[in-house]
Amino acid sequence: MEQTENSGRERILHRIRAALSGGPAHPVRESDAEIFAQIPDPLERFQSECATNHTECILTANATATAKVVGEILGPISGEIFLQDASELRQAATSFPTGLNLRWSSEGSPVEETQATVTLAEALIALTGSIFVSSACGGRSATVAAPLHIVVAHLAQLVPDLQTLFAAMGRDTALLKNSMLCLTTGSSRTADIEKILVLGAHGPKRLVVVLQRDQP
Amino acid sequence: MTNAASEFLRSAAAKSGDLRHRQILRTSVDTYNTAVARGKTRFVDWEAARRRAQAIKWEAVNHLDNYLLQFEARVKERDGHVFWAENGEQARKYILDLATARGVRTIVKSKSMVAEEIHLTTALEQLGIRVWETDLGEFIVQLRNEPPYHIVTPAMHLTRSDIAQLFKEKLGGVNTDDPEKLVAAARAALRRAFFSAEMGISGVNFLVADAGMIAITTNEGNGRLGSSLPKIHVALTGIEKVVPRLEDLAVLWPMLATAGTGQAVTCYNTLVGGPRGKDEVDGPEEFHVVLLDNGRSELLADVEQRDVLHCIRCGACLNVCPVYRSVGGHAYGTTYQGPIGSVLTPHLRGLHDFQHLSYASSLCGACTGVCPVRIDLHHHLLHNRRNAVKAGERAWGERFGFRAFRWTMLHPTWFAALGWAGRLALRTVNALGLGGTKLDPLRPWTKERAAPAIPARSFRSLWKERCGTN
Repeated sequence: MEQTENSGRERILHRIRAALSGGPAHPVRESDAEIFAQIPDPLERFQSECATNHTECILTANATATAKVVGEILGPISGEIFLQDASELRQAATSFPTGLNLRWSSEGSPVEETQATVTLAEALIALTGSIFVSSACGGRSATVAAPLHIVVAHLAQLVPDLQTLFAAMGRDTALLKNSMLCLTTGSSRTADIEKILVLGAHGPKRLVVVLQRDQP
Repeated sequence: MTNAASEFLRSAAAKSGDLRHRQILRTSVDTYNTAVARGKTRFVDWEAARRRAQAIKWEAVNHLDNYLLQFEARVKERDGHVFWAENGEQARKYILDLATARGVRTIVKSKSMVAEEIHLTTALEQLGIRVWETDLGEFIVQLRNEPPYHIVTPAMHLTRSDIAQLFKEKLGGVNTDDPEKLVAAARAALRRAFFSAEMGISGVNFLVADAGMIAITTNEGNGRLGSSLPKIHVALTGIEKVVPRLEDLAVLWPMLATAGTGQAVTCYNTLVGGPRGKDEVDGPEEFHVVLLDNGRSELLADVEQRDVLHCIRCGACLNVCPVYRSVGGHAYGTTYQGPIGSVLTPHLRGLHDFQHLSYASSLCGACTGVCPVRIDLHHHLLHNRRNAVKAGERAWGERFGFRAFRWTMLHPTWFAALGWAGRLALRTVNALGLGGTKLDPLRPWTKERAAPAIPARSFRSLWKERCGTN
């Protein structure tokens, strides 16, 4: 698009600076106290948080077991299954049941009819039982577009909390170059009707994390 | 009295006498309270978290120009656009011009209080564009042609049977009052829109300065779909939403969720920094951030009330407010309801028309106590009242009344005499059978409430008898 016309920009900045020229508001007293408790066993915490937020967490020993678990979940699905085009998932797909309707992220993005998506994650957060995904995980919509989302992750990706993850990301890592990042905690939900929890509002009704103990 | 003030009094009186309405709100707030109490136990020290959150927003708001410029520079590095709008008209024009230039026919919109503030949807619809509200609560109130009832829970005032009836009328073929089936019906209605819209419009929960990304929080995932599928994404926000660092979200995301709904963290906390990247599979071709001032820089100049700009729109102060819980969200006649709305609206839309809202408070301080960023809300209500008096916005009768009250309080004999006369007058009114009629001086209080019994003796005489002094 052409350069944004911004005639108001200087006037707004001028007003902000004039407003602040009288000095800052009375400073606030910050507390150094711990906000969240230490997490002694991240895996145990991750699993219990998943149970609370309705994420299915399945622990596997290795790639073979992971492929088997993912294949079993996908088995009954007749519609399109969209997968992140990653060597690890390509490898897993070789042992999926035959007849599945697979499409890879190198061939486009998910469509309205896509029934399931399978992606990797950037990290897992123990404190809240969350997955951290990016636009590199099969695109911006792959992690939210279908009724079922399966995430293949590794124990080494598990961090205790968000603070640890952000600190590790630093400012210039590859992760920050993605146009989208998302902390996802459980499947899509709403409580807009009488505060009653209903899963599967617009995004996945079912979120499955297949957590593999060894490295890919 | 202004029209807005008399309209407020009229609808507040009607709503607080509506027992069904009050029951619906009570059920909703009770559910919320239980969830929040549980949610807070996840923090070792909720008060320390509030102080941290307050410090983050203090740093951002008191260096607002620097952080906005840092944010803008980062977004531009990724080929995003940042438009600075001084008022609602400029913001609307920018978005309308963009939609027209790109031939947009359908828009999927996720929740944005700023869009409500500038009446964006109506303006887009006047261009013949179909605008789908995609947050379920917003979708429901859109079908009813109503503004949102609450910052976080737009359809808080409706029961499932109200919604069932609405869907039956507006979405053909839906005949159920099962919440799960109602949600499925809305999902089906909106799914086509998500995949066919040319533009997605979202609000913003935080502008992250160092990462140059906007943060959008939703439970439903509508914010993610709307910022991923259409070829244009427009994010609309007030200039005050900025936070300095990505790490700040490690505190603010959980706090927003816990204060807003009692959740540990909301389902989708999404960061968007630009349009689809070169090697990325999908995403919008264009990314526009519209930064709206609309009175915020004037509030910034008010050092006393500057912390109102710390607000993260969690809605907690509405839920705890005894006034909100009685009169509900629509009575306020404002975009932002409850205590934060009563404090903020006079700054955004003028003291003259909205100072009356600062009197719609018992000054109990529950709002201040619950605010996750520690805004001194109930004192700001007092500040607004003081400003209204100074600006000559209050009726002469009130000024006269307070002078008379002051004089009486300084003259104990007159105080006692007037108290005696008052009790006598009430007894006479009751003895003549006029209690509760228009001749009863207590009628404004007693028409919706049981009348208190008139005490036989005054406090003064009881005190004198028991303590022996005056």
